[in-house]
Amino acid sequence: MTLAEGVQLVSTIILSVMMIGAAIGVVLLSNIVYSAFLLGGVFISMAGLYLLLNADFVATAQVLIYVGAVNVLILFAIMLVNKRQDFAPMPKAWVRRGATAMVCAGLFALLSTMVLATPWSFSTTVPSSAGAIKAIGRHFFTDFLLPFELASVLLLMALVGAVILARREFIPESAVTDLQATPLTLPERPRELVPVGGTPSQEESK
Amino acid sequence: MFVLSGYEYLLGFLLICSLVPILALTAAKLVRPSRRGPERRTTYESGMEPIGGAWIQFNIRYYMFALVFVIFDVETVFLYPWAVTFNQLGLLAFIEALIFIAILVVGLVYAWRKGALEWS
Repeated sequence: MTLAEGVQLVSTIILSVMMIGAAIGVVLLSNIVYSAFLLGGVFISMAGLYLLLNADFVATAQVLIYVGAVNVLILFAIMLVNKRQDFAPMPKAWVRRGATAMVCAGLFALLSTMVLATPWSFSTTVPSSAGAIKAIGRHFFTDFLLPFELASVLLLMALVGAVILARREFIPESAVTDLQATPLTLPERPRELVPVGGTPSQEESK
Repeated sequence: MFVLSGYEYLLGFLLICSLVPILALTAAKLVRPSRRGPERRTTYESGMEPIGGAWIQFNIRYYMFALVFVIFDVETVFLYPWAVTFNQLGLLAFIEALIFIAILVVGLVYAWRKGALEWS
């Protein structure tokens, strides 16, 4: 084994351990902010694995879209909710846990048998990423021009839809008054200068 | 052979970068005096007393910015191959990319007109 192969193997192992550990943390941690940040770790290690597979454009897109946008959006959604609640223990929780475990184990068994049964066609040639991005760019502007322009229309639709949904224009008047009675958004916390050693009793009363 | 040709520098950077926090924290640990106290454990907030927890509710206005940002983030991914092959593609591709951007600028103008980018 040459040095390069060793480096590659070690990188793969490190990235895999990072990804699996972060994914387990996403599921097991009770604080969902930690889970969201660990999800970013999962996405970053996935981008590293794409790099190791010589798919650098996919890795770039992974970092840009998943880490930069989707994960930020998830974090925003968590921070908007503002409910730090400790989950109360439920009666007969073990029934639900057992059912969940059975479903997950069944899904895992199904997928693993499928992976093992599928005749994968491995190619021994090393894929080259040298001209991959240029090839994608050429295809975008020659034979895939229409999908490329349609993608912008799709993005436009998504933007308009997001604006409409976030502005709640589709809600009828009666629902709007209800919403205003119990507003979903609180005003921002007032940021006041509190003298050092200020009254801590106000903090606790909140 | 090394599959990742051209990424040797990235690997070197990653190794050196991972050394930076380790060295900084170890050096700080060696130099600083060790004191314990409640003040030492508090969050540093520009010398002021930190108020409440770090987990506060964000204004929903931030969410609008995040949504608009996601759209233009996806646009960046589409424009990246165009920027790489700009020299080979020529004028026609430039006009096509301008059409692509113009369609999205319509969305930006819409969001602007609807006040999604305003802070009120």
